[in-house]
Amino acid sequence: MEPIALDQLTDIDSMLTDDERLTRDTVRQFVAEKYLPIVGEHFEAHTFPDHLVSEIAGLGLLGASIKGYGCAGVNAVTYGLILQELEYGDSGLRSFVSVQGSLAMYAIYRFGSEAQRQHWLPRMARGEAISCFGLTEPDSGSDPGAMRTTARPDGDAYVLNGSKMWITNSPVCDVAVVWAKLAADDHQTVRGFLVERDTPGFDTPSILRKMSMRASHTGEIVLSDCRIPKENLLPASRGLGSPLACLNQARFGVSWGVMGAARACFDSALDYSRSRVQFGVPIGSKQLIQEHLVDMAVEIAKGQLMNVHFARLKDEGRLTPYQVSMAKKNNVRQALAIARKARSIHGASGISLEHAPIRHLLNLESVYTYEGTDEIHTLVLGRALTGLDAF
Amino acid sequence: MDIIVTLKQVPDPEAPKETFRIDESGMKILNPPNIDPVINGYDENAIEAALQLKEAAGGKVVAVSMGETGATRALKQAMAMGVDEGILLQDESFADADAASTAYVLARAIEKIGSYGLILCGRQASDWDQSQVPSGIAELLGLPSVTAVQKVALQGDTVRVERILEDGYEVLDIHGPCVVTVSNEANKPRYPTLKGIMTAGKKQIPVWDAAELGVDAAQVGSAGALTRVSKLYVPSFDGDCEFIAGETPEEMGANLALRLRELKII
Repeated sequence: MEPIALDQLTDIDSMLTDDERLTRDTVRQFVAEKYLPIVGEHFEAHTFPDHLVSEIAGLGLLGASIKGYGCAGVNAVTYGLILQELEYGDSGLRSFVSVQGSLAMYAIYRFGSEAQRQHWLPRMARGEAISCFGLTEPDSGSDPGAMRTTARPDGDAYVLNGSKMWITNSPVCDVAVVWAKLAADDHQTVRGFLVERDTPGFDTPSILRKMSMRASHTGEIVLSDCRIPKENLLPASRGLGSPLACLNQARFGVSWGVMGAARACFDSALDYSRSRVQFGVPIGSKQLIQEHLVDMAVEIAKGQLMNVHFARLKDEGRLTPYQVSMAKKNNVRQALAIARKARSIHGASGISLEHAPIRHLLNLESVYTYEGTDEIHTLVLGRALTGLDAF
Repeated sequence: MDIIVTLKQVPDPEAPKETFRIDESGMKILNPPNIDPVINGYDENAIEAALQLKEAAGGKVVAVSMGETGATRALKQAMAMGVDEGILLQDESFADADAASTAYVLARAIEKIGSYGLILCGRQASDWDQSQVPSGIAELLGLPSVTAVQKVALQGDTVRVERILEDGYEVLDIHGPCVVTVSNEANKPRYPTLKGIMTAGKKQIPVWDAAELGVDAAQVGSAGALTRVSKLYVPSFDGDCEFIAGETPEEMGANLALRLRELKII
């Protein structure tokens, strides 16, 4: 019999509106034409294709879910589909857009003053200002409350000291959203601050020798008596809940994105298994290979269904952090398993950058850990189900 | 200058080739199941050319398509790219049109739109590849037409085009309203933007039927078709491998040449 494409088999399109499909197809075409031909070289060279930023911005993909300020204000399904198609290219491409939109722009949109929004959001949407989000520190990852970065009021300024680690986009950022404990406050409340590139005492060294996310800028943020104007405080930010609200947006995007990575691995494995001949037949005619392919397809279908369901809830304002944890945990874990199976199906060729799976496999090791580790999301869900705290 | 662009939806040329189907008895190409038809690629070049002219010289771009309800997706995509308005021409009687009856309906619609200085079409449609409809429109409207251009520019009311020839191109100036068909060499169609998609999504697409257009029922759809498909089939390509014998490579070569001559291939 003639093969049926996975999208046809699931008829996922029947759950989407015309606008959602057109957006997905547009981003898919952009990634196929502009990004896939060059991603392998960038991954190998440890570089990000900075020349594509203006085109990404021109399509409206930066801060796409924000309403106003030069942003499109798309619904959650559309935003998810954008990230899914970007990560079909590479987790590094999706991370760039996630950090700019879901983390930094969202932080300014949600916790910034009107003046800050007016000043930053339109130029961030146009890709003229690149941003990063500084929460994680060398000694504070899953436990952000243990952060050591401080902001000390001094006249008309705050003086920031501390360091941030594993910060996507930091080496190229024009503005950083930095989370720090307010030193003047007895409770040492975590607040958000905007730090501009040319501020003395602000340094962003690149993290080199990564074996994952190689087609992405990753760096540190080092704050040494970094003096910023008082109006750079994000006035509505208050407590850890503020950065966690941003992370919740980003995690929702991760659960969509990784299904794109999984899909890229599946497509590559399916293609390879139909063309690679061993023992006189395509390896796809073997039951062991078919079982792998079927398992991959079923998990992609389930992950996509969960994504669409939770995105519709998000648009109704009913999405809970527990649901985000469920989607992030499941979809990243499944994507990683799919990438491994796909790598295996490619045999020796599977370790080459000629094929997508090894690149996605390496990237997904990062995604498994960032935006809340798999373990932390397990604890969140475990506590929700039992009512007992196992942190 | 106001510009009208004609659009056609075609089966997605990117669809896997094994999904290609025809209805031999009905003489139709069938769209593969669950794969949406897309805007004909050359028509996207026409849209891009129109948008570039609009950006350079102002005016309005209107896209018009004769098709079924699904064609609104093509019109929405055009509007998401920057086209100002889309109009769908739809009527049961338009079904099974050929190039002549399609050109007739499009020409009547263009007359009804009224305001235009230039009509841009794709050089051909990737389903039937006939390249007949644009010239038909020009004939019915009494307009000059230039086919397969790689460049189109405006100089006041004059349209300057570069028409592709076998061994180069010729530059033509056309005065007044005209029909120009755009080839893929002309440009790289832009992607729709998110804002464009959202704006287009909110716009209504008017549907003009036979009564609205005031067309002659005898000239539309299958009734107005001047051509008839007598046979439609998927050609089969059978391979047959014959090994040419010989003691030495030279002898094999000579035998191969003899065999090819015997088969009247050389």
